Amino acid sequence: MGLRTGIRTGLIAAIVTIFLILIGVHMLMGRLLQSWFYVPAHWPGVWLMVVLLGLWAGSRAVSQMKARSWGNALLAGASAGFVQGALVGAALYLLASITQAGVDLRAWLTQMSKESIGALTLGFAPLPAAGFIGGVLLVSAMAGAAWREWRLRVHAARLARGERIVSLRERLLGIPAVAQVSSNPLSRRVLMGVFMVLLLIAPFFLSQYWNYNLGTVGIYVILGLGLNIVVGMAGLLDLGYVAFFAVGAYTMALLTAPQPHHIQMSFWLALPIGVLLAAIAGILLGIPVLRMRGDYLAIVTLGFGEIIRILSKSDVLTGFTGGPRGVRNVGHPVLFGKDVGNEFYFFYFILIGVILAIIITRRLEHSRVGRAWRAMREDEKVAQAMGIYTLKYKLMAFAMGAALAGFSGAIFASRNSFTGPEDFVLLVSINVLALVIVGGMGSIPGVILGAFVLKGLPEILRELEDYRVLVFGALLVVMMIVRPQGLWPASRPQLERPRPGEEALEEAPAELVEGEVGS
Amino acid sequence: MNVAAESSKWRTARVKERKVSLGLLLRLGIGLLVLAFFAYRFYGVLARQAYGAETWARLAISGLIIGSVYAVIALGYTLVYGILFMINFAHGEVMMIGAFAGYFVLEAFAASGFSARQPVLAILITFLAGMTVSMLVGISLERIAYRPLRGAPRLVPLISAIGASIFLQNAAQLMFGSMRRTYSNPPALERNVGWVLDVAGKPVSITYTGVLTFAFSVVLMIGLYLLVQRTRLGRAMRAVAENKEAAALMGVDVDRVIANTFAISGVLAGAAGVMWGLHNGIIYHYVGFIPGLKAFTAAVLGGIGNIPGAMLGGIVLGIAESLAPAVLDIPFQLKDVLAFAVLVLVLIFRPTGILGEVLAEEKV
Amino acid sequence: MKRRMLLFGTLLVIAGLLLSSCAPAATPAPTAAPATEAAPTATPAPAQEEPTATPAQPAAQVTDEWGVAIIPAGKTIKIGLAGPLTGDYANFGIDISRGAELALEEHPEIKGFKVEFVTQDTQGSPEQGAAVANKFASDPQMVGIVGHIFSGETEASIPIYEKAGIVMVSPSATNPTLTELGSKVFNRVAFTDKMQGEFAAKYIYEKLGVRKVVTMHDGGAYGQGLANVMAEAFKALGGEVLGTQAITPGETDYSAPLAAVAALGPELIYFGGYDTDAAVLVSQMEPAGLKGVIFFGCDGTYGENYLKLAGKAAEGTYSTYVPIPESEAFEKFRARYKERYGDEQGKLSPFSPHGHDAMAIILAALEKVAVVQADGSLAIPRKALADAVRATKDFPGLTGTITCSEVGECAAASIQFMVVKDGKWVVAE
Repeated sequence: MGLRTGIRTGLIAAIVTIFLILIGVHMLMGRLLQSWFYVPAHWPGVWLMVVLLGLWAGSRAVSQMKARSWGNALLAGASAGFVQGALVGAALYLLASITQAGVDLRAWLTQMSKESIGALTLGFAPLPAAGFIGGVLLVSAMAGAAWREWRLRVHAARLARGERIVSLRERLLGIPAVAQVSSNPLSRRVLMGVFMVLLLIAPFFLSQYWNYNLGTVGIYVILGLGLNIVVGMAGLLDLGYVAFFAVGAYTMALLTAPQPHHIQMSFWLALPIGVLLAAIAGILLGIPVLRMRGDYLAIVTLGFGEIIRILSKSDVLTGFTGGPRGVRNVGHPVLFGKDVGNEFYFFYFILIGVILAIIITRRLEHSRVGRAWRAMREDEKVAQAMGIYTLKYKLMAFAMGAALAGFSGAIFASRNSFTGPEDFVLLVSINVLALVIVGGMGSIPGVILGAFVLKGLPEILRELEDYRVLVFGALLVVMMIVRPQGLWPASRPQLERPRPGEEALEEAPAELVEGEVGS
Repeated sequence: MNVAAESSKWRTARVKERKVSLGLLLRLGIGLLVLAFFAYRFYGVLARQAYGAETWARLAISGLIIGSVYAVIALGYTLVYGILFMINFAHGEVMMIGAFAGYFVLEAFAASGFSARQPVLAILITFLAGMTVSMLVGISLERIAYRPLRGAPRLVPLISAIGASIFLQNAAQLMFGSMRRTYSNPPALERNVGWVLDVAGKPVSITYTGVLTFAFSVVLMIGLYLLVQRTRLGRAMRAVAENKEAAALMGVDVDRVIANTFAISGVLAGAAGVMWGLHNGIIYHYVGFIPGLKAFTAAVLGGIGNIPGAMLGGIVLGIAESLAPAVLDIPFQLKDVLAFAVLVLVLIFRPTGILGEVLAEEKV
Repeated sequence: MKRRMLLFGTLLVIAGLLLSSCAPAATPAPTAAPATEAAPTATPAPAQEEPTATPAQPAAQVTDEWGVAIIPAGKTIKIGLAGPLTGDYANFGIDISRGAELALEEHPEIKGFKVEFVTQDTQGSPEQGAAVANKFASDPQMVGIVGHIFSGETEASIPIYEKAGIVMVSPSATNPTLTELGSKVFNRVAFTDKMQGEFAAKYIYEKLGVRKVVTMHDGGAYGQGLANVMAEAFKALGGEVLGTQAITPGETDYSAPLAAVAALGPELIYFGGYDTDAAVLVSQMEPAGLKGVIFFGCDGTYGENYLKLAGKAAEGTYSTYVPIPESEAFEKFRARYKERYGDEQGKLSPFSPHGHDAMAIILAALEKVAVVQADGSLAIPRKALADAVRATKDFPGLTGTITCSEVGECAAASIQFMVVKDGKWVVAE
């Protein structure tokens, strides 16, 4: 019993370990420990990763088992560790001996430099090195198995004593102060106020670079709130959201820049025009996809996003959009005869934009329109049967979301004073979607949190640059499986009090539901 | 339960009643505009006699070959959609990984001189390697990213699939680097070498790799069709597509059937990847993404869930892509725009696709 | 609800007041105060505006219109490089940063202060380029930039450095318009696409005797600009441009556009773009009916990578290259490059000598203007530094003898055309 589970887990763990080594995560860990904790060399980080993977394999093997006993647990841990160690050792033996023969593996596997493999062999010959890593994995898997077994026993004992197992959130709320603050509207408001004041004075104390980054986060917050209307509230998965961002940015650029059109309008005039055009684009793109089912809608909107980008850089429209070179010298806002086009002032424009977007979103959420969207999201047919004219509300959602994107696009173009087709790649849409989903669909604080996590953190951790997008992808999958409602889920208005036994439904991922098919 | 969408993919289409409405007028308007534009541009091209017969022949051949690759990828989309009603967004990346697997095998063979001695065997083993690796990726994809989400609202697995797609792409980039790699074909199957036809007094060449690609994709399609129609597994797959609960009650192991479906679609993607590498010669981590989207378009065009439809859709899309820029006299950089425009137009005018039935729309 | 609206209202009013009040009284130049991470450094006012009151700078005897960078004793002077270090075009960024690093090794100190070389990855995208430029601009010890590498990101970053008064010398941004923006900080040691396109047109018309060409490009700023310049110049010489065809970069099948080009009946295809796409194009030319048609690339298609990808099909294709005149210094540079990085110089990109020269020019100008002050700190007046770079004359660089024009064109070298013979690039006669 333990043996089979162990072997299976060991196999999976071995694949994961080899994969992480091949994409160079062990070296990354080494570098991180070096730069954060002033560890003198990079091998501690490398081996920390190996040991952690061993611990994980052992602990996972035990938690997968049905029958509980110490013997079983150790057997599972040992077999998992053995399989993992043997396979990883074999892989290392291969890599090390090829490298030793003087072949540069980097021609095929870019991360497999001499240093990278050397960090794992520690300078030994291939065979002892393989044995060593296998041994380390075996021991740490055993340790992981023992630890997990002990935890499970403690847990079971506490359950038997009738203690309630509390989650972290409950524990936090159990602290009286926290409970008071979070339940008392006044103190909440005071906190909010303090936070706002901090934000208002922040730019005076931050360097230009951090003002710029905060501004970028703000732009993504607005984008996220816009997409949140479309995806989170109305349940329409739009993967081409960047198209509206581009419409706003290009409107601003073409109307205010000296080239290619010579209009050179004022920023304050171009901004509403950009928002309006983006909203119109939203309606225009919305019409053909009105009656499509969700997944088709996603792919078609993705197509639209790409169409806009390719057209903007094509030879056909070069004369109109500036082609692949984009538009330079986009106009800056002028207030009281003063050019206020630097990061410092833009921070405030963006902040005002964020506040406006929050107000709009909140008002919409609690209005008739928001309720119609929610009904549409939960079940379109029922909503229609109840007399909601879904086509109208869908178009409204598209227009609102697009208007917000247009607003942020216009600000983005003016702030960078340059915009071009390469600013509007698919990855932007994916970024925004990811921050909405990671933060929590339909939840305003969630979107803000998501923007900080996905757009702000990478700037702080520039070492992780290469791995950022990879983590995005993994995050999307993991979030869908573990917490589809996001890090800061939307609190859904309680129309009636849940009867006992219905609390479970609260946690169920009920966003984005449409006509259920199959299953 | 949505009865309209539940009806089988392998039965005849259901005819929808149409009322004369704003929507219909809009469709007619858009359609007429598109047709008028098309005719006007094409007339201009013909009047100038811009292209001779040999050019049209070359364009058609290149479209046919690329279309047959799209078709094989589209088969994978169609299979999975037919059974799970989900768009496997990461399917293009499965193909990319297959292409890489084939590349490494061929590198080894070329270095050892095996591919010069035994070209047929080398190519066979390359295909097998690409298909096997892609199959494993397909199975693990289903196991990790989709199975826990079975029964979740429709968009949840789609988002997960997008995540998986991004993950695989970047994992390949980190592992193999972002430089392009050249397939080292066996000398017998040199790229860009082939038979030369004479069209209007000009040579038009048909490459060996192109013929191999086209022939092998037809073989794959026929094989798949027979598998679905004639084997126990195929029957189980059809049963699961029809109604999961009923199939489970009749003793079909639904989980296994779904895993097998992903395995088959992975095999097809792997084959497409190796064909891509052999014929076009250059692969890198982004090589699967756009073909994946195009293949999805092809599947929709042919009628999703319909195997001959996927094949037809692929070929039609490939030919449209390589002929349309010439017909409309626009730069070839816009061919992706055309492909997406085809997708949108099909979904507006005939959501059933050429051979399929309504799945793309909610029945109102 | 009402109260909440009230709260937002007041906040908006506060924000509005803050906005309408004049610029914050923070110091408008990178300050003389020892810079900590969170030191308030608002952006300096651009020169054309009325200069805001500069605060008294303690211990500064040096003054400058754009402000003075003060390096406290024991700290380093920073010179930055921004460009693609990861992603599709990483080889350009990595190669250039190596060249710059070698230049710094020759001249590691300015008046006893160590120079630190900071590299940042932009992946070649304008957005990332602007972000990195902001990062550099907010570092008070940053005095000069080797970069940016690509034209697009350079264009996006010039306004930012202009505001901060940080001098740039780009080793490889070749878009002609960059020096037409009237920037005081931007200079480059690369020759412009305008020169390249015109020279190529002349060479094709006169040396190769070709009269009918089709231009192709990859839809990028660099490729499109180059193809257009070449087409204009070729027409002016009396040649015929039968048409132009744009392709989507990054694909691996260009047989259809090539067939359409073949129908036009050109004698030569001029391509503006990068090596990877060019390799696909040349390998698919023959089956598309372009047998015997010459393929003429640009400096983006020159290099080992192209030969590797295109294989046999590369035979007889042309590209442009900026030859580095043989000299003792260059000989040494190559040897050091090989020893230090293990690669042959010129394998990754042709631009490492340009990286070297860009760095060397900045260092030489620093040597001219930096002043050690009474308190042991080093003062670097920013405008004086930019002017010193602009005034570079007869500087002995690897790429030749460098003299900057008044708009910042410092390219020394002339261009050479290369052709592939027996799988190797050789100089085309």
